[in-house]
Amino acid sequence: MAVNWADRVSAFSRSPSRFLSGTTAEAFLAELLRELRDDRASDSVKVLLVSPLCEHPTLLCPSDSEGEETALELMSVFAQCPAKSVQLRCHLLLALASVLVCSSCVSVRSPASRDFLDLLLQVSQDTGDLHGDGALLSLRATACDCLRELEACSPGLLSQHLELFGGLRQRESSRFHQAYAGLHSLVLRNAVYQLTQETGAGAEQLKALLGGNTSVAWEADQDSGPTNNTDSTVLSSLILGPMGTVPSLQTGPDCKELRSILSSLLEESYLLTPLCQAALLHRLTEVVAMVPGVPPAIFRAQLLRLLGTSKVCLLHTTLLMKCAFTDSLFSAEDEAFIVKRLVALSQHPLLTDPEKLFYMDCILHFPENRPIGCGDGDETLPVLLTPRLAAALLPTVFNDSATMLARLNLLSLVYLEEGEEGEGGEGRGLAYLYEHLMSLLRIVESGGSRETVVAFFRASFLFLWHFYHMECYTSSLVEKLCELYLRHSQLAPHLIGLADHTQDRLCESNWAEGLLKALQRVITDVPLAQLTSQDLRSHLKTLARVAEEGKIAQRSTLHFLSSIIAPSSSLCVSGDWRLGNSVLAVCRRLLVHPSLDSLLVPLADILQHLACRYGDTDVQDHARLYYALLTTLSQEKLAGVLAQGATEGGRQVKKRSLSSIVADSEGLTSMLTIHQTERAIFSVVEMNPELRRDTQADKESDLNQSEAGECPDEASAALEAYRSQFDDPDFASEITLSYQLAHAQDPDPRFDQLFSIRLHFSLTDDHYEALSDISVPCLFRERPPPAVQLRLKPRRPHPTTLRASAIFTTQDGLSWHTVLPAIRVAFQQAFMPLPAPPAWRRGGKLNLFEGLWDELCSESGECAASLFCCQLKEAALIGLVEKHFLPYLISDWSRKEEFKVLFFLPPQSHVLLKIRSEEDAVHFDVATDNWQLLSHISSYLLTITSSQEDTHS
Amino acid sequence: MSVRALWIISHEKGENVSIRFSRRFSTVEHRAKCLAGPSHVAVPEESTVLQLLLTELGLSDSDKSYVALRDDCLHRQRSPALELHVDGPGKGILWPVLAISQGPLILACLCLVDAPPEPRPPLANLLSVSQGLTLLAGLQNFLLGSGNKPDSEALASRLATLPSVLLQVCPLGTPLDVPLLGPPATPTVPTPAGNQKQPAWKTGLHRGRAVVNVALKETVRSMQYGSQSRQDLWDVYGTVTCKCEVEGVLPNVTVTLTLPPNGSPLQDILVHPCVTSLDSSILTASSVDNSDGSAFSGPYKFPFSPPLEPFRLCSYTSQVPVPPILGSYELREEENQLRVSVNLKLHESVKNSFEFCEAHLPFFNRDQMGAVDVKVSSGQLDVSKENNLLVWTLGQKFPKSREVTLEGRITFSGPTPGPTDPLCTELTAYIKLYFKVPDITLSGCCVDQHSVQVYSSAKSRIVTSRELQSKEYFIWNSTGTAPVSSGQMML
Repeated sequence: MAVNWADRVSAFSRSPSRFLSGTTAEAFLAELLRELRDDRASDSVKVLLVSPLCEHPTLLCPSDSEGEETALELMSVFAQCPAKSVQLRCHLLLALASVLVCSSCVSVRSPASRDFLDLLLQVSQDTGDLHGDGALLSLRATACDCLRELEACSPGLLSQHLELFGGLRQRESSRFHQAYAGLHSLVLRNAVYQLTQETGAGAEQLKALLGGNTSVAWEADQDSGPTNNTDSTVLSSLILGPMGTVPSLQTGPDCKELRSILSSLLEESYLLTPLCQAALLHRLTEVVAMVPGVPPAIFRAQLLRLLGTSKVCLLHTTLLMKCAFTDSLFSAEDEAFIVKRLVALSQHPLLTDPEKLFYMDCILHFPENRPIGCGDGDETLPVLLTPRLAAALLPTVFNDSATMLARLNLLSLVYLEEGEEGEGGEGRGLAYLYEHLMSLLRIVESGGSRETVVAFFRASFLFLWHFYHMECYTSSLVEKLCELYLRHSQLAPHLIGLADHTQDRLCESNWAEGLLKALQRVITDVPLAQLTSQDLRSHLKTLARVAEEGKIAQRSTLHFLSSIIAPSSSLCVSGDWRLGNSVLAVCRRLLVHPSLDSLLVPLADILQHLACRYGDTDVQDHARLYYALLTTLSQEKLAGVLAQGATEGGRQVKKRSLSSIVADSEGLTSMLTIHQTERAIFSVVEMNPELRRDTQADKESDLNQSEAGECPDEASAALEAYRSQFDDPDFASEITLSYQLAHAQDPDPRFDQLFSIRLHFSLTDDHYEALSDISVPCLFRERPPPAVQLRLKPRRPHPTTLRASAIFTTQDGLSWHTVLPAIRVAFQQAFMPLPAPPAWRRGGKLNLFEGLWDELCSESGECAASLFCCQLKEAALIGLVEKHFLPYLISDWSRKEEFKVLFFLPPQSHVLLKIRSEEDAVHFDVATDNWQLLSHISSYLLTITSSQEDTHS
Repeated sequence: MSVRALWIISHEKGENVSIRFSRRFSTVEHRAKCLAGPSHVAVPEESTVLQLLLTELGLSDSDKSYVALRDDCLHRQRSPALELHVDGPGKGILWPVLAISQGPLILACLCLVDAPPEPRPPLANLLSVSQGLTLLAGLQNFLLGSGNKPDSEALASRLATLPSVLLQVCPLGTPLDVPLLGPPATPTVPTPAGNQKQPAWKTGLHRGRAVVNVALKETVRSMQYGSQSRQDLWDVYGTVTCKCEVEGVLPNVTVTLTLPPNGSPLQDILVHPCVTSLDSSILTASSVDNSDGSAFSGPYKFPFSPPLEPFRLCSYTSQVPVPPILGSYELREEENQLRVSVNLKLHESVKNSFEFCEAHLPFFNRDQMGAVDVKVSSGQLDVSKENNLLVWTLGQKFPKSREVTLEGRITFSGPTPGPTDPLCTELTAYIKLYFKVPDITLSGCCVDQHSVQVYSSAKSRIVTSRELQSKEYFIWNSTGTAPVSSGQMML
């Protein structure tokens, strides 16, 4: 089936990402290349196939090697193309240039790019079709364009061929000499630039360069690989106004060769199209700027022609020349002439609007011969632009909005300057501009189009921006805007926007506040009976904005709110959800208003009224929430909760969620919901052993002090006394594990300071009783980690894993839920020292140990005895006991021949060890009253003994 | 001095928007990336560009009265270059985007910034901006032709030729030329032997009899208020259009414009790039600076070598002492009717021989017209009640007195409201004049047939013509407030 390539290619270029989601770049490229090689495909289809390679070479050939391969393929297609397929061959050249440049094969001078360069040079010199139909001419022109683009992307690439291009340009008499001129001038510009970068280069090097006999060393350097073009300054225009610096090549006054090339190019510049002429002149301007030996006067013969031109690009070049050469080419009269010319062109009836806008922009960035400012890109007026001259650009209501605004801006600058100089006719210009603004306002008032409305508010902003200090105008503007608003309340968003922006941009001015205050006044003064629902909606929007102003008293707003929801009005009954939310939006801002104290009662009344009477449940709920917040939280906390959401993301950006359109736009949802973190923010880690031992020692002493009693002499008595303690079910039923909270490794500054952390644990099995939550006041990254004690109440003292999660608050007031890494409770963490009555001395404990031992070894049922052996030297054994068993040691530490160790495991399990060194091995005799623990004991012993062996071996 | 991408969009007043053609220039994009470094913002896909462009041009969401992104008052709409605020992964600002819009088409391109990206260079430093503007204007001209509204088929067929047109005029993003109107140029006849180079803007050579056609057309605009406090304004601008069929690679032709002895100098002269040389005195007079009374007043010589197609050789503005037709317009509200009184006077210096002359009296923001009882002293009156418009056709001649009047009463009692215009409320109303007078110019400027010199071997036929036409010729009601403040008129 034939593929419809037109559709496929257009689908690709419309949205490459969507297209490639259905296939891969590789596959598509392969398809394109296969079809290109297919003889049956027509030229027009093949031209189409080439276009993706021209437009998106980096998508199709993402790597250098793919670019290289594709280029080789394309070159073979090119070679097999019949000579008459000129269009296709031209497009193939363009595709080759695109692929090789963009895959940076050209900049590394890859083999394919060298081949391509050779091909281009060959085509560009092929003058063999003098008697043909001229078709080859356009191929040559395209080849020249490709060469020019390669040189533009890799400056200096073609420097060695400078002389060749000069010769080709001079010999060509068909209209395609333009292509050579473009190529020649660019290569010249880049070659001269390169010379300026070489230390010690001068007249001689320049001469050699132009004569084509570049020194061998330089050529070798060229061939050795990529030139250093990581620096993009060579790509950039050298004419950048007073701040730009132009590298220069010191040649002395004698550079005949360069001059003759420049003259010849300039002489023929007339024969080029205006676009190419402009580009050529720009290149030559750069060259002359770099070579002080050539006087800028070389351009003089062209100037009149260029100054009189109707083409924007040619006049622009002249301005750039002026920028580069200032008074060495342009006299003061010239300058005055150009300023006048620009003003005249900025309002010329035969030019297009974009052209006029561009000329106005040129006036504001005029390249003066003696610039006063630093030319940092700010808009400044040329000194020669007098108010009289500028009067030609006064804005009128007939201008399109862009022109009107550009003129208003320019004239504002003019009158601002005039005002500063305090001339006689001061203020008339300003009065005109204000009158113009009022004319616009009248049009808006009589129902101007959306565009007019927007233009009016932009003009107002510009006027304020320049003249915010002119009290008489700005206060009158407030008045007029209020009148306008009363008649056209749908302009609320524009007015709010104007207030926002003047407030943001004009910090010294309190105009915005004045406007909002005045709006509040006119809104609250209007008789309610006249309000339409559109008005009401706008008024509420405006009042909500007014309520954001801390300095504006809000009594009248409250009064307005209470009157619109009064039982006499239909609003509450209608239960309009939108209006209700608009009312709530005002209330919400009032809740954080600095004068809340004085508003408390009426505001609470309004909220309560809404909560009880409003005909929409959602609005009621929100009102109730606000009421609750207002009546229960301190003002400070309220502000903390509510202000946060409002400032987050600024006024413009509003998050949306389907479930709560309004609340979210008010920023409440984020404050009142708990967010889920993406990763664990911190973890509960075991406290390091040093610290733990301390706390355990404390615990022991606590335990010791808590109860008192005699020390029995006999084993059985000891056992009995001991056992009696367990009559209390809570006795020694808990183990306390010490942990600390530690921040996760990857730092997210949002979570550096956490507050009110509530840890929640859940069990993964039924060996333990459920844990209660733990609160930690705060966790700061830079402070010592807080300790957490986990009280576990085992049902069976088996190792376990606890799941943990936490809810906490961050500094910005948001609440978060995070899942912590699971906590493993190892078997040995359940060990406790013998909970013997505190008064007992070692003897009593020993008695108890013996009694228990005998009992466990004789009884059956749950009890069990076992033996564990391992190879340990005596020192190692002592080390082991000291390290792991010391808190549980019952026998005297000085008696090294046999250690007696007792682990108590809540609720009532015991593991007893007798450890002795025999001749061949160390014997651990184990006795326990819970045989199920044996496997854990043995793996525990295995772990600790093997690690002890390691450390001692 | 190159463009990174080009888009051509068609729409019907902001509806049915679609990108009809787009082209990205990958090698220019490559340069843009090198130049901008990390601050480079890649060109997003078509649909994104379209959305952003429409927002920036104020055409998006036409159903909504306020959209912050579109209607924000901070927006720098006053610059010819737009900013597109790209969101998402390739976040950043695309600048400078040039856009020109005419009729159903929007043409836009993104220019290469060949300067350090920070701080943002002024547009005036970027040659690519004027190049882009020239390219866009050329493409617009090519696509829409001289008429503004080609039928959609013609437009589609021209759009279809764009790939091959771009191969000629902008193969790799650097604009070389603007496309020629009409069918794509046929391959040129190779230049005959000789050293003279063929201009790049000349696609071929003319063979045959030499014919030079020079047409001078002046346009007059006016704002007349009929008020003591407000000065009436008018201005005149002229264009000289040539069509030259002359043999030779680079033939020389000279056209000379002359003024009558007391004529005021031609100002703001702009010439076609094919003009070979200019005398500096020709350029000195400027409309924005009237101080120079002793200015050069001709003859104005324009030596040039013509291209094959018709072209505008030069244009000028002129300040004439009087408007060709001086009018007065008075409206008075009388109970339920409007009293209308109009007087038009043709100046004696103007030839009383029109191709056509019409006065339109629209009435806005009123109910539809009811009874119209209006008499004219000359010509005929058509009443278009649906449009609330009176059309007074004055025909080819004013009467001998050179003065015509219109008097009468109109009631507005129709059942439906008439057309609205925010500018023309209550007594703010105007008359708009449409006229064309063959064979005269207001400035007195003329091209004498004998002053056209063609330096060529064959004898040439020379045709010259001139005419005067009106444009935006308003006469405001003197009893109402005209919507313009004082100051010069610049439409």
